[in-house]
Amino acid sequence: MADVSLTVNGKKVSRAVDDQTLLVDFLRNDLNLTGTHVGCDTSQCGACVVHVDGNAVKSCTMLAAQAAGSEVSTVEGLASGGDLHAVQAAFKEHHGLQCGFCTPGMIMAAVDMINKHGSSLDEATIRSELEGNICRCTGYHNIVKAISAAAQASA
Amino acid sequence: MGMEGIGARVTRKEDQRFITGKGRYTDDFKVAGMNHAVFVRSPHAHAKINGIDKSEAEGMPGVEAVLDGQQLTGDGIGNLICGWMIHSKDGSPMNMGAWSALATEFVRYVGDAVAVVIAETKEQARNAAEAVSVDYDVLDSVVDPEAALGSGAPQLHPEAASNTIYDWELGDSSAVDAAIAGAAHVTSIDIRNNRLVPNPMEPRSALAQYDDAEEHFTLHTTSQNPHVARLVLSAFYQVAPEHKLRVIAPDVGGGFGSKIYIYPEEIVCLWASRKCNVPVKWTADRTEAFLVDAHGRDHVTTAQIAFDADNKITGFKVDTIANLGAYMSLFSSCVPTYLYATLLSGQYNISNIHCNVRAVYTNTAPVDAYRGAGRPEATYLVERIIEKAAHELGVSPADLRRTNFIQEFPHETPVIMAYDAGDYNATLDAALAAADYDGFAARRAESEANGKKRGIGLSCYIEACGIAPSAAVGSLGAGVGLWESAEVRVNPVGTVEVLTGSHSHGQGHETTFAQVVSERFGVPVDNVQIVHGDTDKVQFGMGTYGSRSGAVGMSAIHNALDKVEAKAKKIAAHVLEAAEGDIVIEDAVVKVAGTDKQMGWHEVCLAAYTAHNLPEGMEPGLKEGAFYDPANFTFPAGAYVCEVEIDPKTGSTE
Repeated sequence: MADVSLTVNGKKVSRAVDDQTLLVDFLRNDLNLTGTHVGCDTSQCGACVVHVDGNAVKSCTMLAAQAAGSEVSTVEGLASGGDLHAVQAAFKEHHGLQCGFCTPGMIMAAVDMINKHGSSLDEATIRSELEGNICRCTGYHNIVKAISAAAQASA
Repeated sequence: MGMEGIGARVTRKEDQRFITGKGRYTDDFKVAGMNHAVFVRSPHAHAKINGIDKSEAEGMPGVEAVLDGQQLTGDGIGNLICGWMIHSKDGSPMNMGAWSALATEFVRYVGDAVAVVIAETKEQARNAAEAVSVDYDVLDSVVDPEAALGSGAPQLHPEAASNTIYDWELGDSSAVDAAIAGAAHVTSIDIRNNRLVPNPMEPRSALAQYDDAEEHFTLHTTSQNPHVARLVLSAFYQVAPEHKLRVIAPDVGGGFGSKIYIYPEEIVCLWASRKCNVPVKWTADRTEAFLVDAHGRDHVTTAQIAFDADNKITGFKVDTIANLGAYMSLFSSCVPTYLYATLLSGQYNISNIHCNVRAVYTNTAPVDAYRGAGRPEATYLVERIIEKAAHELGVSPADLRRTNFIQEFPHETPVIMAYDAGDYNATLDAALAAADYDGFAARRAESEANGKKRGIGLSCYIEACGIAPSAAVGSLGAGVGLWESAEVRVNPVGTVEVLTGSHSHGQGHETTFAQVVSERFGVPVDNVQIVHGDTDKVQFGMGTYGSRSGAVGMSAIHNALDKVEAKAKKIAAHVLEAAEGDIVIEDAVVKVAGTDKQMGWHEVCLAAYTAHNLPEGMEPGLKEGAFYDPANFTFPAGAYVCEVEIDPKTGSTE
């Protein structure tokens, strides 16, 4: 067992967890933050993307103990009060989702992209950086449109 | 059209919870005392089980039970069924081998479930599953469908000689042979439609709870059709009586057909929840999704198409071997037969078609309906052979299609379909214009000049959606009806709840169906709640697959709305002292046409429930239901153009 203290969506949390506990299971099972999904458990699909100290990370491939002392943010922490984050609003406006299962990971990956590239984020870069996120319903056109629109709006 | 009615651009109601991480999928549910199931699966494609040593696993930390197939069958849990009877051309019923949810004597594909560990945590269950020792005699296996038919091939089921499930035909064989014999040109093709894995983003999951006080089961599961699941689980598998089983399919992360079926895992979770008297959850990992979710396609086909001197098609002969895998999945039998051969006329006027299908067992994962199911296999075959024929005949692929398009409707094909309407030239024209088909030669020349290769292909498809009517599919062997139900509950304040037997796993029903209500009464879509996916709430329904929710599910809502509208108008006419025929409902206002007399929609709804002033003899309330059984399929059709440039030096495509 390991005692793990970290900040999740702005709140300090401390838990004793099994050494083998993955960050995604810690978030889903210990903190009940079920917005982060497990699609493939092999870091292929990106449904589990969260931010650790500001960087997009696949939480199915990281131990909870590795996140000790870190600032973790999940899709549940994006909206402030009743106001959607610009990327969330863009996914809704541009129909960037159907079943919604890949969506939290897509959104967290997109926020990271926009944080790093800002309004200069172009379509080719979006498509390249989305390589680690899989959607099986919608296809990627509207996801790319949504990210592009949110990037433009960030200028 | 109202501001938010049919066709209006509205954002999706369901998106709000999905983009904020508040969607609730089966694996998100936790209940007190919940244990976890991990399956022990066969590493062999074909083997005899000599024995299972569970002793080490049973003693491991947190382990509640290790259960096997002998215990399952000993408790009277029934074998899995295939719900569509196909008869071979000799009149004999299909040869279905036994499929127990946990294998008893033999395993027949890699992933076949042999035992299950129930433990307090998933890690404990996983560790104990690795400690279960199964003694196998490995047997020869066969995975190729043609090889499975060969003499000397390993035999999978004693019920199916030569691994043949059925040898079925549709159409007039001798007429097609005569057409081929008298043809000006015959094009032949050998084609393989490869097997694929459905892979919805959300892995399958089941959470079974048994309440021993009420002797009642609740199953949360990743299903496209929770009522069908309840029916099959109770009527055929005997895991729970139908009136003592609630099936909930909450938010479901994609299905693509693979979540139609009731698999061994759901059966075992329900059975184990009662046997161990603990809630049992199983969630597949992606490896299991690859191994045991029903696969799609897997046809091997030889076909000939005959043309007269005017390039008109005179006959089409198809011989297909369909690989159904190691066991017959729930609707596997109808996919390569009535969902495939019936679409072999494509968009073309073909007077003679014959199709023979041999369905075979192999040591592979079961195959069932996937995205289109049979119809894409038909389209792929028809369009490939037409394209090949155009090249052999030296005519434009587009022109050869036009020469043979069906022009008059309704049109009866020789493979029992009645197309109601279509304009195939219009869709092809639009596609060719959008792709600048006429400019292809110049673009190819430019590519060649740059050292690249460029090609173009067409596909003119037709689908048969909203499979129906129930009596017709019943006569063809279906074990279920293919209608849909809806109930429209108007509340006293004028808000509307629609209970539908359709199930959304990404289709957006909560918005689209609400728009149908908004269109009718002018109420905002935010005042409409679509309820689905819970057998305790919705009376019955057949679920969502085969592009049926719009054509069938929404039509049931439409019919229920007709009844609500009629009653609301009667109430308004009575209150406003007007003729019923003069009442119109627009923008949530109920008016007497041509006068200034009117009531708010909410006032009519309230009047229905206060029942202070209703027409003589009318029952209070404003709630109506409808079951809708379509008269025919719908036949959407269209055309695709795909143009690809390849750099032969690098293989990169554009």
